Amino acid sequence: MKISDQTDGSTPALTDRQAILRILSLWHRQAPRLIIGVMLALVALCLGLVLMQASGLRLASSVLGEVVITTALLRWVGGGRVILRYAERLFAHDAMFRALADLRVWFFHSLAQGAAAGLGFRRAGDMLSRLVSDIGTLDGLYLRILVPFACACLTLPILVIQLGRQSVVLGILVGVLFACSAFLVPYLIAKSGRAEGERLGKNLAALRIGVLDLVGGLREIRAFGAEGRILSHVQADDAALLAGQMRLARRAAYANASAFLCGQAAIFLVLLAAAGAFSLHISALAAVGILFLTVAAFESAGALTRAGLQAGVMGAAARRVVEVAVSTPNATQLATQTDAPEDTHIHLEGVKFRWAPDRPLVFDGLTLDIPAGARIAILGPSGVGKSSLAALLLKAAVPEAGSITLGGEEISHIKADSLRRRMAWLSQATHLFDDSIRANLLLGRPDATEDDLWKALEDAAVADVVKTLPDGLDTWLGEGGIKLSGGQGRRIALARTLLTQAPILILDEPATGLDAQTEQDFLRTLNTVTEGRTVILIAHRLTGVETLDRIWRLSGGVATAAAA
Amino acid sequence: MSGDKAAIRGWTRTQSRLGRQAARPVVVFGLLSSLLGVGQAWCVATVLGHALVGLVSGGGAQTLVLWPILAFAGLALLRALIMALSDTASAKAGIDARRRLRGEVLASILTGGPALLRKTHSGELATIAVDRVEALDGFFGRWVPASVLWIAAPLLILLPVAFIQPHAALVLGLCGAAVPFGQALFGIGAAVASRNQFLAMTRLQARFLDRVKGIATIVLAGRADDETERLGQAAEELRQRTMKILRVAFLSSASIDCAMVIALVLIAIMDGKQAMALLSGGVSPALAYTLTSGLFVLLVIPEFFAPLRGLALAYQDRAHAQGAATAILDLPEALPRPSPDGARTVNASGVMVSLEDVCFTWDPARGPALDHVSFTVPAGETLILAGPSGSGKSTIMELLLGFIQPDSGSVRFNGAPLDSIVPDSLSRMISWIGQKPVLFAGTLKDNILFARPDADEADLMAAVKAAAVDQFLPSLPDGLETRIGEGGFGLSGGQAQRIAIARAYLKNAPILLLDEPTAHLDPATEKSVFESLQRLALRRTVVLATHSAAVHMFNGRRVDLQMGRVVARQGAA
Repeated sequence: MKISDQTDGSTPALTDRQAILRILSLWHRQAPRLIIGVMLALVALCLGLVLMQASGLRLASSVLGEVVITTALLRWVGGGRVILRYAERLFAHDAMFRALADLRVWFFHSLAQGAAAGLGFRRAGDMLSRLVSDIGTLDGLYLRILVPFACACLTLPILVIQLGRQSVVLGILVGVLFACSAFLVPYLIAKSGRAEGERLGKNLAALRIGVLDLVGGLREIRAFGAEGRILSHVQADDAALLAGQMRLARRAAYANASAFLCGQAAIFLVLLAAAGAFSLHISALAAVGILFLTVAAFESAGALTRAGLQAGVMGAAARRVVEVAVSTPNATQLATQTDAPEDTHIHLEGVKFRWAPDRPLVFDGLTLDIPAGARIAILGPSGVGKSSLAALLLKAAVPEAGSITLGGEEISHIKADSLRRRMAWLSQATHLFDDSIRANLLLGRPDATEDDLWKALEDAAVADVVKTLPDGLDTWLGEGGIKLSGGQGRRIALARTLLTQAPILILDEPATGLDAQTEQDFLRTLNTVTEGRTVILIAHRLTGVETLDRIWRLSGGVATAAAA
Repeated sequence: MSGDKAAIRGWTRTQSRLGRQAARPVVVFGLLSSLLGVGQAWCVATVLGHALVGLVSGGGAQTLVLWPILAFAGLALLRALIMALSDTASAKAGIDARRRLRGEVLASILTGGPALLRKTHSGELATIAVDRVEALDGFFGRWVPASVLWIAAPLLILLPVAFIQPHAALVLGLCGAAVPFGQALFGIGAAVASRNQFLAMTRLQARFLDRVKGIATIVLAGRADDETERLGQAAEELRQRTMKILRVAFLSSASIDCAMVIALVLIAIMDGKQAMALLSGGVSPALAYTLTSGLFVLLVIPEFFAPLRGLALAYQDRAHAQGAATAILDLPEALPRPSPDGARTVNASGVMVSLEDVCFTWDPARGPALDHVSFTVPAGETLILAGPSGSGKSTIMELLLGFIQPDSGSVRFNGAPLDSIVPDSLSRMISWIGQKPVLFAGTLKDNILFARPDADEADLMAAVKAAAVDQFLPSLPDGLETRIGEGGFGLSGGQAQRIAIARAYLKNAPILLLDEPTAHLDPATEKSVFESLQRLALRRTVVLATHSAAVHMFNGRRVDLQMGRVVARQGAA
């Protein structure tokens, strides 16, 4: 299992920091917006600090009989504060969602690079969790960590300089307290919350898989009367998740209280100074100013405690998202690859293949020759490796030894995309999407006309069924084509395959699920509609109506020619 | 989506009521915290007022007033404790509520059963049970307490302010009263936008799960780039919708900012004027009092607006709840399945199965799936249901399984109508094997034991042997302990089907329903699977739907179906 192994064995260990840096580098397209968002936040913060300080000073300065702060200034600062704060939040959120959309697309793209042979041990539920939750979590990276962090970095010097002008000692002490509240407490909580955050992510994924099993297996559950059992199983997952969240919440509560106390200690010091204790003499007017400044500054630092709490969760989310991309096998992405040649002659020579090192060999010296335009059948009982052959031809799997050529070119030297455009594949695993019949067909050839679609449906002997549907081509197929019977669904999938203009058709048990009469009709049409294309019919038996140039029988890891 | 507003409002109201009990400690702690904040502001104002008066009176003989500073420190410690308690209580309220709701949703899904999957994508159902419920955390943890605190806490703060500085209390009160108008105005818009956004979110998730399941098809069709692009479009749509909500939601918090700035500026100017007027009369207790109370009010303003801000922040949580309500209300009600009077169990050995004049329609637009179908299978015999795909075989299976109820006519086991049989007893009577068994996340062994978890090792091994699972065990890396993934990675269709047969052996039920069990198998495998099934069928009542040519291996009655009608019978069916 070359592909599924990636998650267990060969994944390079990534640290959270590397993962987060990787995510940030993926956001480069949105960098200007993201930076402007931070700038706006900084200006809004400054205005907030000024407003609070100015209001205090306005009142206090009245004792001197002079107006230090004018009404107009207050009005401008106040108005500016309200407007900038709104603009900042809107802009920053917009930039963030753009970045997240990029991330979602990148993730799907990376997955598509490596998941051609199916998801294997990576369960779709876990994938969904990764895309939706983890990427959603990452919005906090910018909004809840980077922006408040930048703000705190700006606040600290302002606070220290303003206070330091009155008393250096006071400036330093309050500066240290601010650093504790804004940096140390969040850092500590991030460090201690890391493991918990990772566990939470896993718990959520486990819950999701449990729920998807419950939903997908409703028939089995009902048939075996297993409602109670499966429910308690899922509820155990749920309890694990909630217990973890409670632990994290408790830790967050302590961290919040500690950060709050840092701020209170700072105000306490300023009060002492204002009252003239410990010879920290500062002027009463200045004391009012710095007190209001201190209150406002520490209020803005409060956001970072929550950020620290989420840093662990976020690091874990970033790592899981990035892992998927890093773990994509690179066999399909060699640099010196070319486009597929025009010639469609396929040749396999001495191919050795197994799905995993601990599995038996599927092919052991398989040699096979398929001339361009030939119609061949490959027969054998299930489990003999017929589908593995399709996987090898489509580069969904890589042989251990031997060579596979298309038009004389090693397929390992051909770009996977280009190769797959030359071969259309239909198998039992071919998926019908939860979409209209039309959309499902267009996957085969996006520029197909209405007539092309109907012709393909005719060829697949399913046009009559589609015609009777009230919405025709626009009928919604439902999940896995559930709105149609199994055989009808297979024929829709076949129509999609026939619609492609690929010169090579790999039909892996195309008649599965058809009754005997329909199967024969279908194979007869196949004889005519595939004129001029190479057809590789993979089957466990022949019905006798197929027109074939050559028949190969697979057994013992090799192919032997049988009479045509 | 029903979009039934009254139902949604009713649901939200019920949930609020349930949530409010759990949120009571959060509210009490919140009020206490506000009171302590007021006390602290008074301490700070006293110290600063004293210092300022000292400045005016010439400074020199300032006495150090220590008590307000110490009181401030004491109150700070107390407040930190109460904040921690409040945070913990709010987390607990959210967690308890989610546990309850998730249980309810899962029960609804189980009640709805397989029929639910015809209407709703499994990804969508999973999203409701996991993400929607998870998104309700804020509703119970934040919104519910905030919805009480936003009135109670400002009023509580307004009392001492009114006592100390009536005109400031008036300004503060007016600014505070203006906030709900802004909230209502912008909140309604946000709620409307939010419902649409959740629809987009669910669609994106369902789309992604579906695409991930079929990613091999997409990649091998060379369509990965197109699909990536379409996913990008969906994500972009999601962003636009989210921004629509936020544009309005942020306005509501901007309105609070605005009210607070106005209050701050007005009070600073008013008190400043008053102090200047008093100053002309030299240092007096009245000046000291004005200064202290003015500073106090300024310091209290953030405390006054904090609960209002909390409500604005939690407003999105309420919108989430309404979005979730729409989805949850669409699920069937989680009632225990009906066990009408005279519900009975049926003798567990030797069951006669019959359909009497059964009609069933999935979708009126496509005509009846079953049209007056009748047949009888005596205890211990086999009935073969034949017919092309789409002729109604699977519908009969679903009726026999009790997944769906006939529109007219009845399904009877030993003469008892199916709907009068206790559900537990019904599921004990039936084993079912479909075209593609669902293999759950876990080991091979877990998957077989699914049929009867309390089976002992001997029973398990007997089932493994009888279903010929032991024949392919050596090719698996960990034998029975091999983990099988989504759809059973590494297992062929025949192997997966043998696991289903092993389940049926383990369950040992008197009725065996076989729904095209060999549809995906080659003749050699089919033959050996049928042989296993023949052994399994001994002494059981069997209904076998198939169009396999190898069906002659089974002796029994035969019913041919076409377009939902019985077109031929063999034997005394």
